[in-house]
Amino acid sequence: MMLAVNLTPILQGLYMSLLKLNQYTLNQFLDAPFIGLDNYRRILFEGHSPIRAGLGFALRNTLLYTLVVSIAAIVIGLAVAVLLNRDFPAKGVARTLLLLPWIVPSYVVGSLWGFMWQRDVGIVNVVLVDYLHLLDEKPFWLLGANSFWAIVIPTVWRAWPVMMLLFLAALQAVPEDQYEAATLDGVSKWGQFWHITLPILKPVIVIQFMFQFIDNVYSYNIVSMMFGGGYPGEWADLLMPLLTRQSFSYWMFGQGAAVSFIMMTLMLIFVAVWMRSFKRSLANDE
Amino acid sequence: MNKRKQNLLLNALTWAVVLLSLLPIFWMVLSSLRSFGEITEGAQLSSEQALHWENYRDMWLNVDFLNYFLNSLIVCGWTTLFATMFATFAAYALARFRFRGSDTASIAITVTQVIPGMLFFLPLYMLYKNMGESWGIPMLNTYHGQIFLYVSLFTPASIWIMRGFFMSIPRELEDAAIIDGCSRFGAFVRIVLPISAPGIIATATFIFLLAWDELFFAWMLTSSAEVQTIPVGIRLFNGQFQHRYDLMMAAATVSTLPVLLAFFACQRFFIKGLAAGAVKG
Repeated sequence: MMLAVNLTPILQGLYMSLLKLNQYTLNQFLDAPFIGLDNYRRILFEGHSPIRAGLGFALRNTLLYTLVVSIAAIVIGLAVAVLLNRDFPAKGVARTLLLLPWIVPSYVVGSLWGFMWQRDVGIVNVVLVDYLHLLDEKPFWLLGANSFWAIVIPTVWRAWPVMMLLFLAALQAVPEDQYEAATLDGVSKWGQFWHITLPILKPVIVIQFMFQFIDNVYSYNIVSMMFGGGYPGEWADLLMPLLTRQSFSYWMFGQGAAVSFIMMTLMLIFVAVWMRSFKRSLANDE
Repeated sequence: MNKRKQNLLLNALTWAVVLLSLLPIFWMVLSSLRSFGEITEGAQLSSEQALHWENYRDMWLNVDFLNYFLNSLIVCGWTTLFATMFATFAAYALARFRFRGSDTASIAITVTQVIPGMLFFLPLYMLYKNMGESWGIPMLNTYHGQIFLYVSLFTPASIWIMRGFFMSIPRELEDAAIIDGCSRFGAFVRIVLPISAPGIIATATFIFLLAWDELFFAWMLTSSAEVQTIPVGIRLFNGQFQHRYDLMMAAATVSTLPVLLAFFACQRFFIKGLAAGAVKG
């Protein structure tokens, strides 16, 4: 039953990607003309089709964005988890407060940072230029290559607290005597982190990197809120915003379905390869 | 002495990280209390600045925010209720029984984690459209259309979380109850449910957080303000001629409150639940 519920839209999506679906044929989609692989040909090889034009940028941005966000969230989360895994006053309060950025809904994150990045009224420029004098003139954060960082930073800001929490939980399961023995043997703190902590955290890192990767490939809310649902420019356009924009403003439903199907296939390949390469370290975790 | 100094330094560093990560939230609340003029002129902050609480009144008047707020509550409330209920029963079944297709069900649940439903928005949109036009069952622009979708989107992940909780409860407890004359269902209701209440609360909070944050489908499946939720409505503060950042930040603050309250009310179960999931992998 569950499988059928999942499989039906996949098959329907596959079928739709073989049809000429636009605003005229949308209402009776069963009668829409069957055009075989033509949608795929247009997307991949026909330079001037509207969806193809932006696809290259969106693909590049999505890959870079996903990698940067996933790695940054994991590295920062791990560093702070190690920092928090000590005894200090009000430990629980710090941990709860650190989770707050994650509780803020992502559409609020998009609106909030969109406001903070504004050139004239945004706090980022006020702090960087007026208070700290780090830059001579106020840059446009939501234009050009800067806009890539304008979407990366808020995403990382919202993503790393959960990573921190998960790593902290895993760290607290590490038996204390391992560290004591290592200290007696004269292993440095850094060596202990490298040889005891990291191997224990490896399964969590492997799984969380995969989920981060999946999450960020399908990122939509932050970009769409920050740029008001319009075109975010060639450095901030990601696949999901592109896909919805093309489908609902150009009514290229068949081509949209074809892009979805390509994305799904790539994602399945990534997950299969990832799981296979780390099979052993995941099995140790059981 | 050196050790103590080092510890103090690390504590200071930790709290610096905490404060730094909270700055944007602080800025959101502060901006919601500044006047429109102060924001657009980029006026410098000063301590004697008056707090403009009227932003919180104006935001409800400027855009019909109450409508969006109530819609969010309705959609997320029902979603949380149904998804938690389904996830509880399904997870219990998967944790305790082996039945025909139980493996397939587990695999299917994993697959939905890998291929998010987002990818199938086109088939879904077509399906909803057709159901309204050909079968006379309106799904686009309805509460139940959104709720139905969200329940099916958020149930699988919730099943995974709940399953872990049920598996950690010793089977002997139920067996003992059944020997004492309890029915299977009776044992579930009287023994298992009370023990797993923290897990159920954690799962429900999780679902509520996810549903409250949903923008993608909310945007696509609705076009009339009567059923639209906050993420769709909040865009209206981005006017064509001016951006009312003061009101928008007030609205942002108000729409963060429900999830914040839910989080603080349930955080003890919630953090534990999230962390337990991580260690089990």
